[in-house]
Amino acid sequence: MSKPLHIDLLKDEERLSASPIRLRIMMPIFSLLTALGIAVWWSVLVARAHTLALQKAEIEHRLADLKPAHNALLALRAEEQDLSATLKQLTFYKNARVVFGETFTKLAEHVPDKVQFTEMRIPPPPPLPPQDPKKPLLGPTNPVERVTLRLAGRTNGPEPVNALFNTLRTPDFTNLIRSAEIPKGAFRQDSARNPSNRETLLFELTCECAPRRFE
Amino acid sequence: MNFNAPLIQKLAPSMRRALIVTLVATVSAVALFSFAILPTRTRLKSLTLEIGVLKDTLASMHQDIAATDQQKAKTAALAAERDAFLESGVIEPLLGSFAMRGKTLLDPLAQETGFNIETVKELPLIQLQVPTPAPLQLYGRQPVEFTGRGSYTQITAFISYAERSLPLATLSSLLILGQPQNPEIHKAIITFEWPAKGEKRKLP
Repeated sequence: MSKPLHIDLLKDEERLSASPIRLRIMMPIFSLLTALGIAVWWSVLVARAHTLALQKAEIEHRLADLKPAHNALLALRAEEQDLSATLKQLTFYKNARVVFGETFTKLAEHVPDKVQFTEMRIPPPPPLPPQDPKKPLLGPTNPVERVTLRLAGRTNGPEPVNALFNTLRTPDFTNLIRSAEIPKGAFRQDSARNPSNRETLLFELTCECAPRRFE
Repeated sequence: MNFNAPLIQKLAPSMRRALIVTLVATVSAVALFSFAILPTRTRLKSLTLEIGVLKDTLASMHQDIAATDQQKAKTAALAAERDAFLESGVIEPLLGSFAMRGKTLLDPLAQETGFNIETVKELPLIQLQVPTPAPLQLYGRQPVEFTGRGSYTQITAFISYAERSLPLATLSSLLILGQPQNPEIHKAIITFEWPAKGEKRKLP
């Protein structure tokens, strides 16, 4: 019985695939095309970046051209803000104005015959609290300033003073004088002037006026 | 990398060339992607963002500049309002003295009402409340003390007249003292205050 003899004359590297798409052709072509595609993509991106850089430069140039006009506008705005702040501060003053003249004039008409004023006092504004030297303030922080009126005088008894006290609570005065008080011990004998005269009394009335509101 | 040299040598020269070309092309593609494409894309993104911001700035600048005339009118109106306020009674020193200014303002009124001003004294400026934001030019309360004599009617008429004629003058303090020797004539220390220029701040 004869045994078939198989003689393979082809080397391994000489074998060719039966497929029309050969790996040794397709692999470099695909990779080269990929590299080429990426290079094209890059060049497109570079061109786009260049265009954008040009566009940016152009906008910057236009901004630089507009800068003086814009600076002038900003200066106007800053001036407006400063003027507004100045007016606001001056308005604080104006709003805090308290008028006394009319009330004082009316007071003369209402003072009972048996009352004679010896002193009328509106104390000066209280001094500002000491400032922190490290962080000095530009102005006081409390917008309200208390205003008081002290009336002192002579009388012959508590009734005229009570009448005056009641007068100060009438509408003629309440726009300025918000509250009045006869302090404890307000009545005392006027011994200094005439020790023998026991009828004359010294009195005192303290009034809380409308506060000055700096706001 | 551990190359299997005999395996490569076993490959046909054409296959070896193909492999080498593929390898070089792939490495080039990867390198191009990593060192060229990615940075360029980043740059593009940042450029796009910057251009967006610049365009917005440009648009807002155009819009702002278009409103310049309106802003000018607004600022001028406020300046006029401020000037009117200053003219209505914000005082300035006369020959360096607020006492002189106060005397000039109130002397005619005192004469008309019969109040006799004897001395005038300038008191220290009192700080005025400051709004937020604070103005560059601050204003304060300038008190001026008038000492004089007159009857109660004359004193109150003087105060009323001053308050009516000088819309920013405010009675700041008052002391009327009766005089036992002359009950009709009182001594009065009347302090009026006006708004006046204070410290000028520097731009922050």
